[in-house]
Order: sequence, then C-alpha cells, then structure tokens
Amino acid sequence: MSLETEIHFILNGRAVSARIPVAMKTLALLRDVLGLTGTKYACGEGECGACTIRVDGKTLNSCLMYAVDCEGRDIVTIEGLRTPAGMNPMQQAFVDHGAVQCGFCMPGMILQADWLVENNLRLTRPEAQRGLEGNLCRCTGYTKVLDAIESVVETQCCKQGAPGGELQPAREPLMRATS
Amino acid sequence: MNSKTSPQPIKKTSLIGQSVKKPDAPDKATGKTRYINDMVLPQMLIGKVLFAGRAHAKILSIDISAAQKLPGVHAVMTGRDVSGLKFGFIRDNVALKDRVRCEHDEIAAVAAETEEIANQAIELIKVEYEDLPGVFTPEDGAKEGAPQIHDEFPGNRSLSYEFSHGNVAAAEAASDFVVDNVFRPHRVTHCCMGTSCAIADFDHNGKLTIWTQTQYPYNYKMDLAPALGMAPGDIRVIQPPVGGAFGAKLDVYPYEPIAALLARKTGRPVKVMYSREEEFKASPTRQTAIIHMRTGCKRDGTLTFRTADVLLDNGAYTSWGPTIPVIMMRTTSGHYRVPVVDFRARAIYTNNPYAGSFRGYGNVQTTFATAQQMDMLADLVDITPLEFHLKNAQKSGEVTPQNSFLRECALTECLETAERASHYSRKRREYAAERTRVGRYKKGIGLASSIHNAGGAKIHKSDGIGTILKLDDYARATIITGASEIGQGIDAVVTLIVAEELGIPIEHVTIVNNDSDIAPWDVGVHASRTTFIAGNGARRAAHKARAQIFKGAEKHLGELADSLDLRSGWVVREKCGTPLIKLERLLRQMHFQPEPELVMVTDYYEPKSEPEGSKHVSDHSAAYAHAVHVAEITVDTFTGEIKVDRVTAVQDVGRVINRMGLEGQIEGGVALGLGYALSEDMRVEQGRLRNAGFRDYKLITAPEMPELDLHFIESNCAEGPFGAKGASELPAIVIAPAVANALYNATGVRIFDPPLSPEKVARAIAEQRQQRSAERLDRSRSPAREIENEYCALD
Amino acid sequence: MKAIATGDATVLCGGTDLTPQTDSGARRYAATLMNIRRVEGLNAILDVGDSIRIGTLTTVAEIRCNPTIRGTAPILADAAEHFASDQIRNAASIGGNLCNASPAGDMSIPLLVLDAAVELSSWDAGAICTRVVPLDAFFLAPGRVVKKPTELLTAVVFSKPAPDFVGHFRKSGPRPALEISTVSIGIGGNFSKGIFRNVRVAMGAVAPTPLRARGVEAALEGQRLDSEAIRAAVTAVGVDVKPINDVRASAWYRNHLARVFTEEVLNHVLGN
Repeated sequence: MSLETEIHFILNGRAVSARIPVAMKTLALLRDVLGLTGTKYACGEGECGACTIRVDGKTLNSCLMYAVDCEGRDIVTIEGLRTPAGMNPMQQAFVDHGAVQCGFCMPGMILQADWLVENNLRLTRPEAQRGLEGNLCRCTGYTKVLDAIESVVETQCCKQGAPGGELQPAREPLMRATS
Repeated sequence: MNSKTSPQPIKKTSLIGQSVKKPDAPDKATGKTRYINDMVLPQMLIGKVLFAGRAHAKILSIDISAAQKLPGVHAVMTGRDVSGLKFGFIRDNVALKDRVRCEHDEIAAVAAETEEIANQAIELIKVEYEDLPGVFTPEDGAKEGAPQIHDEFPGNRSLSYEFSHGNVAAAEAASDFVVDNVFRPHRVTHCCMGTSCAIADFDHNGKLTIWTQTQYPYNYKMDLAPALGMAPGDIRVIQPPVGGAFGAKLDVYPYEPIAALLARKTGRPVKVMYSREEEFKASPTRQTAIIHMRTGCKRDGTLTFRTADVLLDNGAYTSWGPTIPVIMMRTTSGHYRVPVVDFRARAIYTNNPYAGSFRGYGNVQTTFATAQQMDMLADLVDITPLEFHLKNAQKSGEVTPQNSFLRECALTECLETAERASHYSRKRREYAAERTRVGRYKKGIGLASSIHNAGGAKIHKSDGIGTILKLDDYARATIITGASEIGQGIDAVVTLIVAEELGIPIEHVTIVNNDSDIAPWDVGVHASRTTFIAGNGARRAAHKARAQIFKGAEKHLGELADSLDLRSGWVVREKCGTPLIKLERLLRQMHFQPEPELVMVTDYYEPKSEPEGSKHVSDHSAAYAHAVHVAEITVDTFTGEIKVDRVTAVQDVGRVINRMGLEGQIEGGVALGLGYALSEDMRVEQGRLRNAGFRDYKLITAPEMPELDLHFIESNCAEGPFGAKGASELPAIVIAPAVANALYNATGVRIFDPPLSPEKVARAIAEQRQQRSAERLDRSRSPAREIENEYCALD
Repeated sequence: MKAIATGDATVLCGGTDLTPQTDSGARRYAATLMNIRRVEGLNAILDVGDSIRIGTLTTVAEIRCNPTIRGTAPILADAAEHFASDQIRNAASIGGNLCNASPAGDMSIPLLVLDAAVELSSWDAGAICTRVVPLDAFFLAPGRVVKKPTELLTAVVFSKPAPDFVGHFRKSGPRPALEISTVSIGIGGNFSKGIFRNVRVAMGAVAPTPLRARGVEAALEGQRLDSEAIRAAVTAVGVDVKPINDVRASAWYRNHLARVFTEEVLNHVLGN
C-alpha cells in the first residue's frame, strides 16, 4: 500500500492535518509523523494498552486504529492532559502515590484511569481493577495505580457531595504497610 | 545574621522511612520522558535482523544481492562480516551466525532508511539451510551420540558446579523423614514493556557511542568490545530511560553488536528495536531447571540434610542462565539451618532459546523446591508446622555451611509476624480439615520463606561503586553515581540519602547516572545490591562533603567542625539546633574568598564481603535478608482456577528508606512471582516458541492482584546505609511456593512443575479423585459412592 | 456497495482483528481497503416490533450498555461484558467479530442461542439485494464464512425472546476477560413450570467454528430440568464437542470445561 491521503482532525485541542500512507496506524501517526512519543508501542496487537488514547472521548488502542479513521475526530493523548496548573489530577495522583516505576505503561494507564473515573464517579476498587484489565504493567503490581485512582475518586466524590468541599478521610485502604 | 531576632532552633528531622516522590515520575506521567525506544537521531537508519526461524541447521548459502539493491538500503551484513569476533561468558557466541543453533539465531542484518524498507530487505534475503536433527532437552543433549551444538564443547557440556558439606549418608541414616521430589521450574521471560532497543553511532576516530538498556554499563564495555574487535575504552555507554529490565540486560545480546556493526559499516547512527514478537522469541529467558531435591529431618523437627541434583537446559549459547547454581546452592545450604548439604549442577547445550539473569536468579527456582519440601515435612514431624519453621530458623550471628554470615537475621521475627497477621496456623488446620468435604470451592493457605543476598554478591573482582558529589553556589547538589536507574527507584533512594545528609530539600539534588564517560564505575544493577551499595556510596560521599563543609565553617565562622550539623538548608549547632549560616552562603564564602574551594568529593565503596571463590565457601554478600509470604487462595476444584485472595508479605528490609518506593518494589515483585506461579509459560516445542505474544503468554493483570498486607521488619543492618538491606528480589522469589503450598492445603494436590495453571490443577484434582475412588472401591468392595462430579474422568 | 461488488475489497471498521492479522502477515490486503465505520445507518440497535436489529458497526461496548439489549437479551450483554478490554470493546464491531469467524467467537455464542440471523447485502444490477442467513449456517471454518467477497454483512437480527426465555453465558480463562476463550458456552430456552423448551446450546473454542451442541439440546428439549436431565446434558457434551490441543489448552481440558460450564449454566437456569 503506497497510496497516501490527507487527514484533518483535532489533536489535544488543536486542529492538525497530516499526509499519511493509507495503511498507517494511529500509533505510528502520533509517534513517527507528529512526534508525540508519549503513546507507546509495546505489543502492536491490542493486548497491552500501552498505546491507549482517547478518541471522541472513548479509550481505544491506537495500534489497532487506522490513522485515516482519525479524520474529523477528537483525539487526546497523554501530552494533552496537561492543565495550565501542570499535571491533571490523575497524573498528579499517580506521582503522589508512587504509581510510576519504569513508567513505560503509564501514559496508557493514566488515560484509561481518567476515562474510568469520568464514566463512574463512584468507581470502586474492584471496578477499577476490572477497568484496567487491558493495561499491562510489569513493574508495579497495579497496587499504587489503584491507590491513585481511589484518591481521585474520593476527591471528586467529595467535591460533588460535600457542600463545604472538605475532604473526607479516606476509607481503609486495602493495602497497608507497617514497620 | 540578624541580631534583632533570636534565631529559632532547627530541629533534626529525617527523610528516612518517609515516602518521597520519584524524581522522574512527573515527566513519565506526562509522556515527556524520551525512552530509548522513542529516540530518533539525525541521519539515523533503522536496523532489522533476519532470524533463522528453525532450531538447528547448517547454512549452505546466503544471497543478499536483492536486498542490497533495494533503494534505501545502506548495508546488509552476515556472519562473513563477523567471523572470529566471538563474545559471551564463555566466548561461544557471535553477532551474526554461520550456523543455526536456535530459532532466534541472527543470520543477517539490514540497515535502511525506514522500518518498512528494512523489513522488505529482510524478506529479500535468500538463505539455503540444511536442517540438522535437534536437541530439545538437556537429557537428550547429554546422551552419547547426541548432535553437537558447539564443536568446542564436547558432549554438549557447558558449566558445572558443586558444593558439599558433611556426610549425606550419615545424615540420612539419622533422619526419621526424607522427602524426595523432582521439581521442574519452567521457562518464562521478562516481558519488559519497552522492547529491546539499541542505538549505535561511531565518531570519526572510531569511538563508539551506544545508547543501550544495559544494567551494567561498565563491564558491558568489556563484554561488547570483542564482538566488534574494539578496545573497551573506545566505547561510551549512554543509558536513556528504559521500559524495564528485570535482569534481561545484564549481558550483551547480539542485537547490540549488530547495531554497532551496521553503524560502523554505514557511517550513520543505527537503531535496532525488537517488535514484541521478536522480543518474546529472541530475548533471554529465565533459566529452566530440573531439580532433584531431597530434604531430611528428625521427628523432633530438626533438619538433618538437604541435597540437590540439578540439570540445566543451557540453550544454544551461554549467558547468565547456567550460572544460577552459584545462588541455587546458597539457598540449598542456607534456607533454614541445614547441617549437611550436597549440591551439584550441570548445564547441557540444546537447541532451545537460552537464558539470562532474571529477578530472583536461581533462587526463584530453588525456593520453589525447598519451601514445598519444608511444607511437606511440616506435616510429618511431631511439632506444629510453625514450630517446625521456627525451630530451624537461623538466628543473628549464625553462619551457613557456605560461610554466609547472617549478622542480622530476622527470619524468626518474619515468621512470627506472618503468623500473627494471617492466622496461618489456625487456617491451615481448618482448611486441611475441609479438604475431603464435598464442595466446589476450597480455601487454602500456604507459607513460604527464603533467604537472599541483600548486600551485593561478590562474583566479580569488585562489588563496589564509585560516587562523585558536588555542591554549587546555591547549595544544589549533584550526585554522580555508577548505579543505573531501571525503574526500580534508585534515583529516589540516592537523592533522598544525599538530601538527608546535607540537610537540603530532595528537590535540590540532581542525580547523574547514565553516561559511562561521566559517572564512575559500578558493577551493575543486580543481586538486590543497589540500595545497599549505591546508598552506602552516596552516604559516604555525603559524609565527605559534610566534613569539607564543616571545615569551611570552622575556617570562616570559627565554629568547631565536630559540633555542627546541616538542617533545612542551614549550618546549625548540632546540640541545640541554633542556625549559624545558610549553607549556600557558606558555600559561596568558601568559593569566593582567598584560597577558594568548591565542595567536590569522590568515593569508592567496596562492601566488606568475600569473593565467591571456586570452592563457594565465602561470605559473598555484605548482608542477607529473609522474607516470609503467606498466600490465601480459593481453588475452583471444577475449573482448576486459583484465585489468590490475600498475600501477607513480611520482609526483613534492614531499614525502610523510601517507604513508597520499597512498597512498590514488593508489590511488583509479588505480581511477577504470581505470574510465574499461575499463568506465565513459554511453550517451546522442538525449539520453536508457540506463544510469542501477550495474547497467549499471560501476565498478571489488575483484576488478578490480591489484597496485599505488607510488613517491614527493620533488623538494622550495621553495614547497610541507615541500616537498610537490599529488597527487590525476595518478593518475586517467595510468593510462588506460598501459592503452591496453599494449593496443597486446599486440595491435597501438589504441583512440582509450575505454572499452577487451571488445566494442570484440574487434571491433578481429577487424577486424585480417580485414585480415591479406586481406593474406596478396593476397600469397600461395594459400588463406589457417587463422586461429586462425574466429568472428572480422564480420557 | 459498488466498491464491494468488485469482490476485491478488505472491509475495515474497528481494526481489532484486521490489524493484528495483516501486521503479522497472516492476512493480506485486497486491492481496496474500505473503511465502513462512518457509513450511515449501520450502527444502530433498533427495536423493530418483535425483533431486534443490530447494525454491523455497533461496537461491543455499545451492545454491553444498551438498555434494549440488557432488557430483552441480557445474555448478549453478558458476553459483551466479558469481551476483551474496554479499549477493544470501544472499537470492535459486531460485524467484524462475526466475519472474523474465530472458533472462540464470543459474540457468536449468545447470538446462536438467540437464533440470530445475519443480513448480507450486495450490489446487483443497480440495486441493493439482501439475503438473510441464519447464524448457525454462517460459519464454515476458522476465518471462513458463507458471506461472499461481494457481500457486506449489514446487520444481525433476532426475534425478541419470550418473557419465559432464560439465557446465560459463561466463559473461562486465566485472565478474567482479556482472553480468547479457552471455552465459552451459552444456553438459553423457554423455561416454564420446570420444563425447558426450544433449548439452544452454543459453544465456542470446542470445534472449528462456534458450535450448536445439538446433542445437548436434544437431551434437554422438552424435559423437566432436574439433576437427571442435567446429567444427561453433561454426558451429551462429550459427544458434541470436537476440541483440539493447542497452545491455549488441551482437548481434554476443553472437554472438561465444556461439561463443567454446561452443568453450571443449567443450574443457573434452574436457580432462576
């Protein structure tokens, strides 16, 4: 397939266009054409989730998605989560809770985590576990990823629920370390 | 100082034991970090490898003409280009092969302008093979008349090891119980999320810069040089951020010299990166083993002897895998107090994929055996299982038959803590009593412990590390350390220690540890040594810096050097905390006054351990540590699925330095060990890997993680930094036998060949039921009572 | 439709099966790669009186969450619930899953239980022609279906189950969901006054294609659903299934699981 085509879409809030081979995948478009290397290749067949991006609000494996299918759509990658204040709450929570070790899987993990919490402000830990089944991590055992997600849920829940905005004490975390 | 207000004293606070954020975490969480896999250099070419795809063959001819002619191809190389350039632990490997010894042998390599062109070129290379009969088990490899894999290694024999202490026959005669089993720890692989990648570039003086995922950047030069026919000193090693390593990068593997050879030939930077499929097939695996183990004890519970006879599948080439007996024997002789030991191991070449080192290195395999045999004996002796473990647990000050000196030993505390936290003994009794009751789901609880190096392992001439520390005019510190960051969090530990010692915020400490032209030597990130060794190096360097600072204070302020401390960015009087001068101001005074000086110090730290030695009787680590895991599971006896509900993980960590980082390492280690125990399995048949992808090679996922209850025992290791010991391998080692013991507790089924997959468990339970049913029939001589599910019949 | 009429087009929607297959070389592109994801009218779930019509582009995620499906055919929502991961569910189309014709075919199993049929459309002499093929006649072999290269699968349809219809789905795997099934089964039928009628039993990954287990159906049809009937059904499983040994599981284990799941699902039906 050596044919090329031009595509136009919204990427991280800005209109972009690119001229690409028709069989190119979105993952290659992002990394090799647009220079956004935050989204990772780790398996290329939709099993590991390291390439997770958001397309029209939903999370997808960008390694399976044809780049031509970005046409007219709203794409968000890890680079697009920044707020003027810096990191978004999920990113900050991942850093604060020690969820990042080698970090290679984290862009995909964070995007999926964000989507899970947006879809369900009362996300429980088991639901979060289920929701991350398509994101593989070899370093962390997922524990602190789940801690981070729980903390974001609690903050958001409290924002929604308590008029004064006071953070309620966290419920007993499943995992505790004692010395 | 402002004399109007009396200065508030600054109290001593400590970061030790706190949770600190990993310095590189924000960049990683925002996608900013450029991993080696993300790197693009100007004029860079893409390198691709043609793999043999067959297990054992002669190469009759290679026709690269069509590939060379393809527009965009800059080089095509074959074994002809590297003949004589042997490398490897016993010099049995070469970057491009003239003969096929395993499926992933590298036959040719291409450098081209794009990945697409490189792949097309690979397709155009025509190779004529003559297939040879293959050898796929070490037993077959050792047979008389077996096909020879390497001419220089007759009988397919590579390495062998022995250690012996005491009289086994006498010890056996004195034993009341002996358990005798064959364990077959299986083939798994690292599955780093970032696939193997190297970028090489030569300068005009023939000096090589290689960007690599290596975990041992300095000895790496020594190992890479012969593959290229270069001097090691002409190699500069740069370590960009990596997506994991876990021991896969402790040796030179062919794709690295291939990148360099292509770079040298083309005069341009060349990047070689594996696809996931190539990663599964071509990167080193964990070493498999066939372990015939025997353990004996008296009825009062005293262990009498332990022997292990180990056969290793060397695979096609010798990397770290076949050297694991060095650690296997330490477990055999040191896991609990064992007075008599015999250990022998030999590695036999086959046409299978070959093994490197992998987190847990030989101890994963051996503890799977020792901890199950302990569990078996526990049911035979006159005392309770917990008493059996405690009775044989070493105490501080004991020495093992191999002279491992357990200066601070917390096995007893670990066992007692595990018991308290998990109610192990009571549950073990309760669940065992439920075993024969009719019911689909059975609960089980299993305990396993192990011992591992926690202060390095002196298998090289030096187990040390160089450190350089400097302070600038603003009291910002830069620590230049030989210790590599591979995701394990040494960056946080080292900067924490420097911040602690210098009394400055951790954000004011920069770590540099990724360029062999800049940072001093370290033997490598392995053997759970890095917190201990690099931590000590950082601490010693910081002490030297403190000494220089306090001398400067003496000179410039007239204070007594040994009455001072550094706190919150100030130089203070140690006793009362009275602040005297801001550290940065003192540093500027030291710098810009007559006889100027900068605070710049260096240190080389060699741990107080003994070289391994060929007799293997040595205190080869500066510290040892224990862990005890208790796994609680629910077994679906119909499907064979094991659900791990809860893990109590107790570990002697010496001292917690970065709490969050340490927890993360334990949690990740448990996940790795659970994958080993339950679901990971490389299916290699006739030398070919059948499941080269995440679809059919199963890593543990988030929903499968159990509840974790972590306990850290602080034995305060005298030699360790702030008392800390190394920690990261033990959790990966201990969890699998804990699960295996829990399976036995729940069902009466023991599995000696991991993984404990649903199918294996279902089969074992079905066999057990058939056997019981047959026994009942024999005994009662009347129609057997209905067995609970009739579909357990084996075809 | 005209583009497909040449017979030389590879149809693409979510790419969740097409991409790994073309990337690995297991499948080659035809002359035309046709992305139908945006074609209008092919992605609706419609309640059309006494049947449900699911457009070919409907994603597995949409099926999972759709109130009509959850209300009238929960067995289909169950299978969607256990299908791969969120990221795959958000992209994978029902048409793609069916045409991929994997022996495991997670979405095929509940559809077979629902007696579904597929609509195949083609361009013939200036007009769109449609034929309807029952799903249990659609699969020929792994990766092969009766659909011609000149046809496009445009919808899946099934009659709304009667109020007394009970249907359940069960699949296996070391990984809870992201698993190309070691074994999956669906059982459904009209269950009233203890009698099980119009029984449909479908199984995945125990034969070259998703299987209607006719022997098991016969053992249950019109019978009182009690432990004896369940035992007979379980025995019949061993006759119906033809599993293979592969890297995921042995034939023995697939057989074993098929029987375990059959008993489990029937007990579930009984429990209802």
